[in-house]
Amino acid sequence: MAIHERSLVEPERILRKERLVVDGVDVSGDWNLIIMPRVINDYDVDFGKDVLSQPEGKTINQCYQCSYCTASCPVHNYWDERYNPRHFIYLARLGMIDELQKRADVMWRCVSCHKCTHRCPKGVLVEEVLKAILKVMAKRGIIEEYPSKKFDKFFTESVLEYGRIEDGELLFGWIEKQGYNVVKDPILKKPIPFVGETPEWLKDLVMKPIKSMNIGFLVLNAKHMLFHPKTKNWSKFKQVLRKVMQEEGALH
Amino acid sequence: MKSVLVVGGGPAGIAAARALGRLGVSTVLVEKDGQLGGNPIKNNYHTLIPRKLKPSQVIGPYIKDVEQNPNVKVLLNTELTACEGEPGDFKVTLSNGEKYNVGAIVVATGFEHFDPRRKGELGYGLYPDVITNLELERMFSVEGKLYRPSNGQLPKRVAFVFCVGSRDRQLGVTNVHCCRYGCALSGLQGSEIREHYPDVDVFCYYMDVRTYGTWEYPFYWAPQEQYGVRYVRGRIAEITYSPADGRLRVKHEDTIVQRPAEVPMDLVVLVLGMEPSPGTKKVAKILGLAQDPDSQFLVPSDESGSNIVSNKPGIFIAGACKGPIDIESSFSEGEAAAAEAAAFLGAKVTV
Ligand SMILES: Cc1cc2nc3c(=O)[nH]c(=O)nc-3n(C[C@H](O)[C@H](O)[C@H](O)COP(=O)(O)OP(=O)(O)OC[C@H]3O[C@@H](n4cnc5c(N)ncnc54)[C@H](O)[C@@H]3O)c2cc1C
Ligand code: SF4
Ligand code: SF4
Ligand code: SF4
Repeated sequence: MAIHERSLVEPERILRKERLVVDGVDVSGDWNLIIMPRVINDYDVDFGKDVLSQPEGKTINQCYQCSYCTASCPVHNYWDERYNPRHFIYLARLGMIDELQKRADVMWRCVSCHKCTHRCPKGVLVEEVLKAILKVMAKRGIIEEYPSKKFDKFFTESVLEYGRIEDGELLFGWIEKQGYNVVKDPILKKPIPFVGETPEWLKDLVMKPIKSMNIGFLVLNAKHMLFHPKTKNWSKFKQVLRKVMQEEGALH
Repeated sequence: MKSVLVVGGGPAGIAAARALGRLGVSTVLVEKDGQLGGNPIKNNYHTLIPRKLKPSQVIGPYIKDVEQNPNVKVLLNTELTACEGEPGDFKVTLSNGEKYNVGAIVVATGFEHFDPRRKGELGYGLYPDVITNLELERMFSVEGKLYRPSNGQLPKRVAFVFCVGSRDRQLGVTNVHCCRYGCALSGLQGSEIREHYPDVDVFCYYMDVRTYGTWEYPFYWAPQEQYGVRYVRGRIAEITYSPADGRLRVKHEDTIVQRPAEVPMDLVVLVLGMEPSPGTKKVAKILGLAQDPDSQFLVPSDESGSNIVSNKPGIFIAGACKGPIDIESSFSEGEAAAAEAAAFLGAKVTV
């Protein structure tokens, strides 16, 4: 049998059998092809509840599907229309796991520009909610940990350690993780920026702005890169923060 | 017998004053503008939902009755500035310096239109072809033709953007309510465009279409079935301009197709929300009336059950000062407030 509107039928719904017997009747030949129905049989409502219970997911139920977010999203508009924050929120709330799974390959593509959150007329923290959805998907093994998450972790650790973002260490620590040979100072065992192996793109990226930078600012930056200043009294605060974040489930 | 003060000469206020006058109650009607009739008259609404009559047909007779009734004293360009005394014996001061003793007060100070400049991404004030539905009404009623302000020509395509300044937390807690009239009026305006300019295509961008009650057929079905107005489900998130073809682009997600969309349009009409008028907020302070903490609209007392009895005995509230409402309901509320006020004064009515 021929399928007339092939574009409407996903390949995984097409079953072809060499020999097919239905209720004892051999229907092989013309009737050996079955298209599985698309009917939605149930909702996995626990999925939505799980998202809601994440610290980043608290606003998911405020969504009313207007799509200001998706219409504003650069990833949806200029990269892949399958990346659709509004639709992900819809699917997550109802718990349509198979539909989320179909989109797993694009779901981590958010560039965290926050245009969605900034514009949402219902006060949904869209970008955060999407992270919560991914988190629950990862927890359930529906999606692999998305690459940008690794950087997020590294970033969080750096902030927790110093109470601030320390550009040099953040950048070169990350570069080391990518397999580059980074030179470290013997006492603190921290990477010394630009001394060891440095990717070409980074040299380009840094050289351009450096040319137009004020010298005082450059010296200050270099000093920070070498001496890793901490926020005052940070070590006490750090312990409290870590504890709270752990309790809230915000530390991964 | 004591008289009644009616504050605001829009549909709700004139209906209250008219009913009081006919009941034989002496009434003072103060209106801050130079004419009666409120927003529909002031802003030259063209055709009114739901009966497709002109404002002069619907509101005109009320104005005439009020002006001709010897029991009603109309004071234009006048506002309420102070109120002392107690229920049954209020001493009110007006902006013209006059003072009156009144037994009861009807507040009908109405609404004002949302200022679309507050939604910068929609480009109002930036692109001349982005207009408000009020301006479209004016085009019909005063100028008598549809055109693109940028070049004076007939647009090939018109888009209506629903819910501008309504249902929107991005503006704070004040603009969460639905405007109630917007979907229906757009259905009517879209039909009028299609009727008079069959070559112009009309698109309505909606989240959901709220043409409640008997408005469903005339303002949602008929625009599609009879006039070919098209509906697209998606909220417009951004309006831009393309110098290449001089047309606007409405950016949205078509949520049914699930694809990004930036569609060319020649004229974009923003469907404005309603907010409490500055007069409503002012009068609420003067009289100590309860307001919704978020929207600032007036709210009735919980005890009475009635929606026109305020938290202050002897003071009654009617019309759009309490939230979005249509003209005919504003009339009814004004009339109900008049009856309550007359009863409060113990008026003995003989017909
Ligand atoms: C664009 C648009 C189109 C609409 N089209 C329709 C339609 O087709 N059909 C329909 O049924 N409804 C329509 N509506 C709704 C309609 O406008 C309202 O139902 C109606 O105007 C409410 O009447 P009101 O008397 O309560 O308030 P208003 O019309 O706002 O009148 C209030 C009056 O009080 C005066 N005032 C305010 N403060 C003071 C003060 N302190 N002292 C003295 N006077 C004061 C104001 O000047 C004004 O004249 C439309 C609304 C909009 C925004
Ligand atoms: S903008 Fe907000 S309310 Fe609208 S679809 Fe996106 S998350 Fe939902
Ligand atoms: S933060 Fe992510 S989801 Fe939101 S608009 Fe930017 S890319 Fe899109
Ligand atoms: S009546 Fe229609 S246009 Fe107005 S706020 Fe409600 S849904 Fe939006």
